[in-house]
This record gives sequence, C-alpha cells and structure tokens, in this order.
Amino acid sequence: MKKFIKKIIIYSFLLFIFLNGVSYLILKKLSSSEFYKPQFVKNANIENKFDYVVLGSSVGLTTLNTVQIDSALNLKGLNISMDDTSLTTHYLMLNHFYKCKKSTKKLILCVTPWDLTSQEYKLNNNDYRFLSEVNKDYVSHYYYTMEKEYFKKLYLSKYFPIIGVSYYNFEIVFPSLLTIFNEKKHNKFDDRGNFSYPNYGTSKKEVKVKDENILLKNEYFDKIYTFCVKNNIELIVYQSPLLGKKINYLNIPSGIILINHSDLINSNLFYDDIHVNSKGRTFCTLAFCKEKKWIK
Amino acid sequence: MLFNSLEFLLFLPTVFFLYWFVFKNQLRAQNVLLLFASYLFYGWWDWRFLSLIIASTFLDYFVALALQKSESPLKRKYLLGISLVGNLGMLGFFKYYNFFVSSWIEAWSSVGITMEVSTLNIILPVGISFYTFQTLSYTIDVYRKEMQPTKSFIDFAAFVTFFPQLVAGPIERASHLLPQFYKNRTFDYQNAVDGVKLIVWGMFKKVVVADNCAFFVNKIFENPEAYSSGELFVGMVFFAFQIYGDFSGYSDMAIGLSKLFGFDLMVNFKFPYFSRDIAEFWRRWHISLSTWFRDYIYIPLGGSKGTQWFQIRNVMIIFLVSGFWHGANWTYVVWGLFHALLFLPLLLFNVNRSHLITKSYGWLDFAKIGVTFFVVCIGWVFFRADSLSQAFEFLDYFFRADSFDLDFFTKQNRYFLTFIICLISILTLVIIEFIHVVKKEQELRFSNKIVVLLLIMIFFLGSFKNQLDFIYFQF
Repeated sequence: MKKFIKKIIIYSFLLFIFLNGVSYLILKKLSSSEFYKPQFVKNANIENKFDYVVLGSSVGLTTLNTVQIDSALNLKGLNISMDDTSLTTHYLMLNHFYKCKKSTKKLILCVTPWDLTSQEYKLNNNDYRFLSEVNKDYVSHYYYTMEKEYFKKLYLSKYFPIIGVSYYNFEIVFPSLLTIFNEKKHNKFDDRGNFSYPNYGTSKKEVKVKDENILLKNEYFDKIYTFCVKNNIELIVYQSPLLGKKINYLNIPSGIILINHSDLINSNLFYDDIHVNSKGRTFCTLAFCKEKKWIK
Repeated sequence: MLFNSLEFLLFLPTVFFLYWFVFKNQLRAQNVLLLFASYLFYGWWDWRFLSLIIASTFLDYFVALALQKSESPLKRKYLLGISLVGNLGMLGFFKYYNFFVSSWIEAWSSVGITMEVSTLNIILPVGISFYTFQTLSYTIDVYRKEMQPTKSFIDFAAFVTFFPQLVAGPIERASHLLPQFYKNRTFDYQNAVDGVKLIVWGMFKKVVVADNCAFFVNKIFENPEAYSSGELFVGMVFFAFQIYGDFSGYSDMAIGLSKLFGFDLMVNFKFPYFSRDIAEFWRRWHISLSTWFRDYIYIPLGGSKGTQWFQIRNVMIIFLVSGFWHGANWTYVVWGLFHALLFLPLLLFNVNRSHLITKSYGWLDFAKIGVTFFVVCIGWVFFRADSLSQAFEFLDYFFRADSFDLDFFTKQNRYFLTFIICLISILTLVIIEFIHVVKKEQELRFSNKIVVLLLIMIFFLGSFKNQLDFIYFQF
C-alpha cells in the first residue's frame, strides 16, 4: 500500500509540475503575441494615445470601421471590441487598455439593449482571452467575481495554469503554438482591431420597424461611465442597427452623447438580425462620421 | 456523479482512504462503506431514483431467500415471476411506457383512427437497464439453484449498487461479483497499478477520442443532406469511435476502479473493431450484455439446437431484444435486426465460430476486419439517428457517392484542428489495440511511459469544455 501511495504521489507531483510548467510557457507565449484583443492591445506596435476607441461586443467589432473613420475625419482610433462579450468584459477591457499605458480622448461604447437591461453579471464566452494576463490583479479579480461556479477554473489558473489551459485547450494551446510561427497573427481582426462580416446577409424582405423602450439597469454601465469621468474621457454611447427595431433609451445620463442608429438601414445591409454586413458597415461608419454631436 | 468530474476527484480518494485505512480488515464495515458511497454516487444525479434501486434490492433479496426455502416448483415459478414482473415492470414503465403509447397511437392513426392517449413526462433513471439485469441474474441463478442466496442484506445491496459499474456496466453476474463481497480483501499493489492504468486508458478513450469525435458526429447527423458522401463516411467512422471510446472507456474506468478496491470485474470489450465477422464482433463487444442474453434468453430458448427455423427464430429474438434493450426507439430495433441479418448466414453456414479456430492474422483477415468494420459502421447509423427516416436519409446520401470532398473538416481552423486531433487520438487507440491483438493479449498492458503520455494527451487534447455525458447512461 505504501509503495502504491508513494508512487501515485510522486507521479502526480511530477506530472503536476510538468503540466503547469508547460501551461505557464503556453500562456507566456500567448501573452507576448497579438493573437487575441487583450494581447493585441498590449503588444501591437500602435500609438499610445488615441483620439477615440470603439469598445463593444461583436456589434462594436463589425459596425464601425476605425480605418474609415480615421481617413474621413483625420483621427487616430482603435477598435478594442471583442465578440461574444458584454458590459462586464468591456469594463475589464477598458481597464486593461489603460493598464497597458494607453489612453483615449473619447470612448465609443457600442451597446445592445439586452445588455444594458441585464442585471446578471457572469463570465462571457470569450473572457478566457484574458487568461494569459491572469497574473494581473484586475484580471484575476474579474475572474474571481464573474465565475459563479464553486471551482473557479480561470481564477485558479493564476496559481495552477494547467486548469485554465486544459479546459480551454483549443482556444489557448493551439493559438499559442500558432504564434511561434507567426507572432503578428490576429484572430479575425485587422491592424486597427476591426472585423467585417461578408457581403451577403439575411436578404429578408422589408421588416416592419417596432419601437422598443429601454431602461438602463446594468451597473457596469455606471462603472464605465465613472471610469471615463475619472480619466477625463468623453463617453459616446452608440447603438448599432438592429433589424426591425427602433430603440428608445429612456434614462441615459444627460452628460453622455447618444448616437442611436438602431433603425438606420434596410434589411439588405444586414448580415443577420443584429450584425451588419460589409456594405452595411461602410454605410453605418459613414453615417457615424456625419454625426456632428460627437466631433468637437 | 461522472468519473470525469471534479466531484469524483474528491469522492474517490475519500472512499479509498476510508476503505483501506479506516476500515482496513473490517469486511462488514468496508461493505457498508461501499454501499453508502454507492448511494451517494448514484443520488448525486437525482436522489429520488435511489428509491427504485432500493426497491429492486429489497425485492430480489427477499425473493431469493424465499426461493431457497421453497421446494415447490410452482411456488418457485411464482417467486421468480414476482421478481421478473417487479424489475421488468419498473424498467418497462420508466423506459418504454411512452414509446409503447406513442407507437400505439401512430399505428391506429396510420389506418385513419385518431386516439387520445397522453404520454407521461417520465425521466429515465440513470443506469436502470444495467442494475435491473444485474439483480435479475441473481434471482435467476438462485432459481436455477446455480448459487446460494446471501443472507446479508448489506452484501447484496452493495453488490447491486457497486458504484464503479452501477450506471453503465459491465453487467456483472451475481455468481461472479457477489462472492467477492464475502471474502476479505487485501490490497494488491500490482492490481492497483493495473487499475490506475485502466482508469487513465478509459479516460483517454472518453475525453480525447469520444468527446472530440462527438463534435463532428453531432453536426453531421443533425443535417446529413448538407454533407458529401466522404464527409458522411467520416461521420460514420467517427461515431463508431465515439461510441466505442465512450462506452468501453467507461467500462475500463469501472474495471480499473474496482481493482483499486480489490474487486475483479469481467472484461466488457476485447478490441471489437479487430473482428473478422459479426459473430466475432459480438464476442468482443459489450460482452457482459451479450453473454447475459446468451445465458438467460438464448440458451433457455434452445440456442443453436433444434431445426434451422428454431435457430433463426432464436437469433432474431436475441438481436431484437438486444436492440430494444438499448432504447425505446425503432432505430435500436432496426439496428438489432440489421445485426441479426448479418449474423444469420454465418450461423446457417456453420461458420459463426470459425474465428475461434484461426489463431493468427493474415492479409485476408485484415480485409475481413475492414469489411466487418464497414458494416458495423452502417449499423451504427441506425443506432445514432434520432429516427428511422433520418437513418435512411443518411444512408441514401451516403450511397449516392456523389462527392468525396472533406471540405467540412477544413472550412474553419477550429474544425481542422479538431479533425486532426480526432485522427491522432483514433490512430493512438488503434495502434495500442493492434499491438495487443497481435500479441494475443486479452487485457491491456502498457508501460508507465505510455500512461504519462496518455495523461498529457488527456490534459492538452481532451475535450473538457464540450464534455458530454456517457452515451450509455441513457440505456
């Protein structure tokens, strides 16, 4: 029995050390890459001071093209949106952006009605993309708060990287290996952080537009606003087009600029019900550039 | 509780410690511990269903004692009948009630008569088919006077609920497992090491092979018309390895866990995809179930004795019952029928045992292995499909053989990566098993280095995020 227990302990210990060591190297490699947005913000050879940044989920990523805005308005912008996320991640990304010694004059926050009304704060599908930064307090604190499970996989990766690396092996291990061969590789975004859906779409017939009144409830919106006030950032809330909806925000604080494009375009410019296609992106970005209220 | 869950990672060392350190050399206390650990293990899913196991345990315990006391053939038959009706009644109600009701309604509606019979919202208790058959084997063996009933309720209850094999087998015979609860168990180093290796091997098969293959299988079977013949073929092959990795992986883990507690369970799979015909396949696949059917249904029906018509009837019954055991759906019945039709020619030409004579593998044998594997894969289409129409639709598109491109597996980086992992893991499995087949080894043996390699593969290639329940839990 003693021999068995001893052997199990020795093998488990050695394997544990080995797996954690390899996982640490994997995260380190990923951390020095530009593969996901958090690493891109940290490592890409870009400016430190921006006129504006676009922050949001997939709608932020695919609706406003910063290259087009920069060229039209002679500004310096960056898209730091990440798909499949919500205001909780946006707040983390904003913190991360500033911790990476970057700053912006204006923040264009791309919102969705379902996110603004939500009061359920939990881990988003793509939050693992911050895993390589888990040693930073603001990231580990975020994981600790957002992971509702008893066993907090991402948070515990701070101490035992194998936990998160093994669980998200497809999303972490293989991109990390990929960056060995191409350090500048980006995961579906260009050099300014933009991504566009293809030029086909829902091709639905005209949809009747319905009004929807939205009351802002999400406390992470307030946190972002507070962060902006504290860092002297002008907050611009942008509502991207939604198929068949006209959103009316009823309680956006008065100091915030709201640009509401929810009913701006026809169905042929949509990729699906909530995302615009490539043509739609160009159209929306142009319309956004023409909005006088955010350009001062 | 799943073997590949975090709870089990805490559960196992706790039970192991109590078993070998606190209750060492205390047979009764060890059996009580195993019983309560098993109840906890099972109740983790849904504690309400514990009542069914406890009811089944009480029923067969007292029926067996009554059988021992009674010499009257008629009374003995009644007692056996009580056990059969009680156990199969529970199984029938929970597993087949809705199926029979909806089939009945459909049958009448096909002749234009509409019936208003409502189905019930019944949840299938995990593992009911497995423990029901296990307890039945006890009553039947006592009825046949092939074993003495136990007087210890604890021993019997621990046998019925023994957690390593409770929910997905192997379906143990009372005559093999129950006596192991009577004997003092001493810790055997080599046995425990073999157990750990089997657990790692089973985990590899489940988490790396089965769960990665499931990623594609689910997509392809959901919408077969969207795929080329080549993609459908890969989907079929991946399902063959998914179900094998899933089910035999569980069996390996069950056998390995039992070894840690000093128990010996029967081998449930002997490298079935190296079978040279269907008869051999059934001697290598889910052995505990096929031998159960052989001993308790096929042989009592007359087996391969009697006229050819009798033989055909018996084979048809055994395969149809086997199909039906797997689930309340016509797809399983057709799967059983398909295997019966493949098996019958071998029986009728008296070559269903030829593989027992041939000792070594020649080139012709490898061709036979390929053909057998292919027909088994065709059968799996019925097993996996949600309905018969979906299965026929799948096969229709597959046999059109219009295109053999594999674009689906390369259209996204993620898909391509998963595809490569599936191929690597399947290849690892096949190579390891092939070495054992060539060496004619019945049980897996490999070095510590291989175990470490498998563990590394589990951690870095395992599908933890898309983890699935074991398929056989539903049966």
